[in-house]
Amino acid sequence: MIRHYLTAINAENIKEWKIEMSYLPDFIRSFIEPIVYVLPFVLYGIALVGGRNSPNLARLVGSGDIITYVVLGYIVMGFLNTACWGMGWSLRKEQWYGTIETIFAAPVPRWVYIAGMATHSTLHQGGMIGIQVIVIHLLFRIFFHTSGILPSLLLIGLMLIALYGMGMMVAALALIFKEGWIVSEILHSIISVVTPIAYPLSVLPVFLREIAKFMPTTYGVLGIRHFLMGERVFFTIPEAVFKLLLFGFVWVGFGITIFLLIDRKVRRDGTLGHY
Amino acid sequence: MVAIEVEGLRKTFKKGKVVAVDGVSLTIEKGELFGLLGPNGAGKTTLIKCLSTLLIPDGGRIRIFGHDVLKESLKVRRLIGLVTGGERTLYWKLSVFDNLRYFAALYGLYGRKARRRIEEMIEVMDLVEKRDERVERLSTGMRQKVALARALLHDPELLLLDEPTLGLDPQFSRVIRRFIKEELQKKLKKTILLTTHYMEEADELCDRIGFMSQGKIAACATPEELKEKIPHERLLEIKMAGLPDESLIRNIPGVEDVLMIVDNNRTVLRIQSPDPEGILATVLERLRKECRIIGFGLTTPTLEDVFIFLTGEELR
Ligand SMILES: Nc1ncnc2c1ncn2[C@@H]1O[C@H](COP(=O)(O)OP(=O)(O)O)[C@@H](O)[C@H]1O
Ligand SMILES: [Mg+2]
Repeated sequence: MIRHYLTAINAENIKEWKIEMSYLPDFIRSFIEPIVYVLPFVLYGIALVGGRNSPNLARLVGSGDIITYVVLGYIVMGFLNTACWGMGWSLRKEQWYGTIETIFAAPVPRWVYIAGMATHSTLHQGGMIGIQVIVIHLLFRIFFHTSGILPSLLLIGLMLIALYGMGMMVAALALIFKEGWIVSEILHSIISVVTPIAYPLSVLPVFLREIAKFMPTTYGVLGIRHFLMGERVFFTIPEAVFKLLLFGFVWVGFGITIFLLIDRKVRRDGTLGHY
Repeated sequence: MVAIEVEGLRKTFKKGKVVAVDGVSLTIEKGELFGLLGPNGAGKTTLIKCLSTLLIPDGGRIRIFGHDVLKESLKVRRLIGLVTGGERTLYWKLSVFDNLRYFAALYGLYGRKARRRIEEMIEVMDLVEKRDERVERLSTGMRQKVALARALLHDPELLLLDEPTLGLDPQFSRVIRRFIKEELQKKLKKTILLTTHYMEEADELCDRIGFMSQGKIAACATPEELKEKIPHERLLEIKMAGLPDESLIRNIPGVEDVLMIVDNNRTVLRIQSPDPEGILATVLERLRKECRIIGFGLTTPTLEDVFIFLTGEELR
């Protein structure tokens, strides 16, 4: 049984890679885009500061290297794209291909498809981030403590649980709302605004700072910058782990509930195959 | 052993405004090849989707080999091979092999066993040359073969085939029909439920046929028994160029029912009457005013005549 589900998850992942590679220009673009996206922020920072070291940033967070600071922030946010777009849109794509009914008639529980698409979008995003980091490193050099890599990965792993929960919710909502991209857009915008990606938490207005404390990405971004470049953070590590586990639990529970409710709804209304 | 047991099935859409399946009860035995025959919109696809757990019915109950489709849906899905929804149900950007490999994994086949089964199905469906071709480059008929291969991967007991020859050219249709009858039913002893709106298909293939019309099963019997439901052994058939006014014929005394088949500018009228020779002169007299008669004669009833006789509805 477990073997069956794992095989299905892996098959889902491989299938997605193959389909994506069949649209080669798009596939290549997906790896270039993150670089193009983060460059302006880096250059803007350099222009304002007049170099890569900002005394002001150093005073606020304990380290003044703006390039590493910004790049690490965007790496974590890449995984938000995974949830909002990659994972969130996978079922919608099946609707659009015309395959969703056929795959939903197969003898695997729905969570297997979710796990498959989560696996694929995480791997794809991981690849995109890897290339992003390498290119930025070649251009500017990124400095970080190698000893922080392992704890950072663990923290990102914990953050991903909550993001997967969001991804499930988006995936389900995209099945019933023709304008489902609005859901992705809103979720992505809200989280991007309050998460301290390219700036310290302390520069946010107070009420946004309070909202930020409920975002898994806040703990992800601050946590890995803490481990990799010594950013001073407002929480202890056990606190961050606890918070991320809690968010993960709540979001996954919420995501699964929404998903199952919508799965029932589309099978009652007969709109599963519609797009 | 009973393969499919449907009791009082009801399914509506649009908050009850569209009644797609309206109280259907049906029992299909293991090994049977059962056909649901009915025009577009009769509710055939909806019924198939309820059986395959893709739709949740409003009422009634369905059991597949004794398993309730709602309570044991995973078990039921494992027993079913489904072909439905036209040619978009495959990944067009993937090769035939990759499509089959993905679906094999969903059905719990992996490793060498999966590979062997896929190659076997590719061979059975005569797709060896197309094995590595992307589905988007195949013809409609080929795609249907791939869809059948996919449905057979996990060797299901029951096959649900929704309009299996829709949109195929006559040659491909024949291949698919022969495969369903000879291979699936006779050799592999599968239970098969197929839907169609081609009466020849139902007549040629099926052990039993259910006439479906407006969400209901109007009759259910063997093709021979169904044909006996028409009280007369002979029908009057008239071919003509042009489009006659059907009511002109209907109100001739002695005419019981009229089936009108229009194809381009050609019309065929099939008239049921206890005395076909007796009404011939009057019928021809009236038709001559509107159309050019091409031929006429007496024939035996087809399933389509029975369908219209029992439901008042035409098949196409
Ligand atoms: N998802 C749906 N939403 C609304 N109406 C539907 C839906 N599916 C089918 N119908 C309606 O239900 C009726 C039966 O359709 P269907 O089962 O597709 O018939 P058939 O397969 O015999 O052509 C039709 O009137 C059709 O318009
Ligand atoms: Mg149909």
